[in-house]
This record gives sequence, structure tokens and C-alpha cells, in this order.
Amino acid sequence: MIKKIKASNSEKAILYFLILLAVITLSTFVILKNKCLFVKNYNPKDMNFKNSNNIVILNASCGNVIIELYPEISPNSVKRFKMLISSDAYENIAFHRVIENKIVQAGDLEFGRKGSLDYGKIGTGKSGLGTIKSEIDNHFDYTKGSVGLARTFKNDTEDSQFFIILQDEPLFEGEYTPVGKVLYGLEVLEKIKYQRQSEYILRPDFINSFKMLK
Amino acid sequence: MYHILRNSNIMLIDSMNLLRLIILVFIWITPVYGNSIYNLIKIPNLEIYEINTENRLKYLYAKSSFRLGVQKNIICESSNKNDLDNKYNLIYKNLNRYSYNFLKKINLKYIVLCENLSISGINTAGIPDNIMKTLILDIKFNEKYFERVIHHEVFHIINDQYKDLFDEDRWIKFNNKNFDYAKCSTCSDRLGLSAFKKTKGFFTEYSQSTASEDMAETYSHIMTLSPEKIKVIKEKDFILKRKIEFIKFRILKIDKDFMFPGNMKMSMSLLIK
Repeated sequence: MIKKIKASNSEKAILYFLILLAVITLSTFVILKNKCLFVKNYNPKDMNFKNSNNIVILNASCGNVIIELYPEISPNSVKRFKMLISSDAYENIAFHRVIENKIVQAGDLEFGRKGSLDYGKIGTGKSGLGTIKSEIDNHFDYTKGSVGLARTFKNDTEDSQFFIILQDEPLFEGEYTPVGKVLYGLEVLEKIKYQRQSEYILRPDFINSFKMLK
Repeated sequence: MYHILRNSNIMLIDSMNLLRLIILVFIWITPVYGNSIYNLIKIPNLEIYEINTENRLKYLYAKSSFRLGVQKNIICESSNKNDLDNKYNLIYKNLNRYSYNFLKKINLKYIVLCENLSISGINTAGIPDNIMKTLILDIKFNEKYFERVIHHEVFHIINDQYKDLFDEDRWIKFNNKNFDYAKCSTCSDRLGLSAFKKTKGFFTEYSQSTASEDMAETYSHIMTLSPEKIKVIKEKDFILKRKIEFIKFRILKIDKDFMFPGNMKMSMSLLIK
């Protein structure tokens, strides 16, 4: 005959404590794993914009980044940027160069596409539309959230690659062609995958979509 | 003997591999810090001194000393705060004479201020680099010639950007037939910067070193002497007259709105009488 042994109060307390510990550990693991948990996702449909024709929405892994473009500062560059956005050229393109809290860069249409990433050449790809002239004469404050077109070492080599700065960069003024500024969603960009040891990212995050508001 | 050599070779290869491994591990564990100034002009240890200027020149200073070049033979030391503050106004006053449009044409944007600048152990006032849009200036350089040196170095940027315009063969023909320049500016002992009282085709001894230094010296004198003084020199020295006209004509070809002293509204205190 099996004799039932009742657990003492202290044994019960230890059991409850262990269960609680397991729950906390598991939930913490889930919370920490989700890098987007505390990132606000802005819905442009719930918002009003003055220049809605110049508003573009970049969707990344943690949500939307709402950007206003400045055609009055860089007309040709914004025209090129809008054309690429309207043709969905940036979809599934990698954020191939990311420096923590400094800069995110994307837009290599040739070597940065999901499924056919070329790590050896990423950052050197072209759009096939040719390069355009730098537009750096108009004054522009490169403050946090500014969007500019990347170029090679020489001027007048802008194409499809763009960058967004995550801190003020006053020396970029007159150096890189500005195209716009982030209105909402900088925290989405701060969550884009970076590597502490390299500017160029192994298994990078991608642009889910990049569309005009209108 | 062969075995000893072979063993020592193996040991050498092993130590090389070990060194490579250590370097790789170091790279793996070293975080990337994006340095905007370094990314732009490839000079380390710089900080912003002043960037809100009329002609959009960006003034940077050396926070600590730096070495440049493939052989790291260009050395400049950190700038002392007092020296920097003392010299900045003078440098700004002189460089502010160049318009944004002109600076854009000659590809000059960054002015690096540091102390005791040298190339391969030879002290120098400035190092121009039109490719990197940079002019490095030694703020400790001889006070007496400092203003002139600024324009001298600016001319090197102009010359480097418009090599075809400043034809040295044509320039050499301005000199007397029996005169020869040295093969390079540092392989000559003609280094004096004091202005000649009797010019005889050259403003300074250093003018006689090479054609491009002669052009730079001529240009720097045009920029710092009063128009009256230049007029007198032109009347007395036919060689310098032709050299001055050569330089002025080509500068105006680069930018027709360029303002030489005399045709610009400028404080007379800028001019050396």
C-alpha cells in the first residue's frame, strides 16, 4: 500500500518559486529576443501631412519610417529617388552598411537584393539608370534623421544608394546630396541590424517596402 | 644546415600565422566607430574648430598628432588651444577672401590646423591636397611670412586642380636664358622667403627653386601686396610683369569674378605695404 505523503509548506513554497522563476526566465527570453517590442509603429493613414506628395514610407523589420522629401533643395536627386520608390525598386534591398547610432545605408539594387546578395560587391552596385549630378550647393543642415544620396569618392556619381544619419553630421553639408528628412520612425532605423566589428553587415536586414504616400 | 633553415622557416611561418590570428582576433573584438571627419578626408585625430563660415570652408584642428602618407612620412602635432585661437582670425581673414564658387572650382573645402608640420623630416608651412579638398596648415610657421604662405599654399591647390592652365614650359621662358630652376623644391638650397629688394624676375629666393614654387610665390605676392606696390614692381621688372599677368589671366579664366587686391572692396589692413 502506497502511503500518500503531503508536501510541507516550505516544500510547496520552493515549488511555487521554481515555477515562477521558470515563467519569468521564459518570458524574459521572449521579450529580449523581440528587438521591436518597444518600437512604435507609425501608421501614415492616421496622420496628416502638409506636403503629402513628398511623403514616402519605408517599411523595415520594426515598422514604418516616414520621410519627407525636399525637391526644392535637390530637384534632380529627389526626382530620381521618387522614380525608384514608385517602381518598387527598393523592395527587398539590404541595409548593407550600418554603424550603430550613426548611419544606415541601403539601395544597392545590383548586389543588395534579398536572395542574390553578393557580399563581395555589395555597396558598389548600380541601378542601371546612370549616375546623376551632385546637388550640394543649397544649404542643408545634416541633423539626425537626414536622408542623403550616397556616392563614390567623386562627386556626380549618385545613383540609387541612400543613407539616413542617426546623429547630427554637420560636415556632410556641401558634401552629400540631401533628399529629405525622417519625420517619424527613427527608432525603427535604430533597430536595424548592425555589427560592432564591421560597417558591412553579414545577413543584413532588408527594406520590406518603400512607397510614396500618394 | 638545410634542416636548420627549414625549421627556422617553419617557425617563421608559424609565428606569422600566429601574428595574423592575433590581428584578426583584435579586429573581431574591436568595435567600429564611424568617424565622419576621417571618412571624409582620411586624416585621423581631427575635431571641428569652425564650420559656419561665409565661404563654407570647414576649419578642423588636430586633437592629437597624426601621421599620413603610405610611408607615414607626413607628421603634424596637436594644436595648442592658445596658438589656435591666436592664428585662426588671421587664417580666416585671408581665406575668407576666396568665394564659395572659387573654392568649389579649385576643390578646397577643409582647412586642417596643426603644429610643426613636416614631410620626411623637412618642416613645411602647408600641404595642399586638392583630391581630398584639404589644406593642412602649420599654425606655428614663421609669423613674418604666415599670411603669404596661406595664399602660396592655396595656389598649389589651384595649380594641382588646373595643371594644364599653368604651363611650366611657358613660364620658364619668362626667365633669363641662363637661369635654371632646381629639380625639386627640397633639392635646392634656395629656401629664403624674404622678399627681394631688387627683384630681377623673382620675388624671393624660394621663387628660384622650381617653376611651380615660383608661380606660387608670385601669386602669394599678388594677393598680399598693395596694388600700388605691384604696379611699381611691374614697371621696374619686365619678367615679373609677365609673370604677374600670366597668373592673373589664368586665375580669371578659372573664375571671372575672382577679386584681386585693388579690384575688391577690402580692408587696407589686409595688404602688406
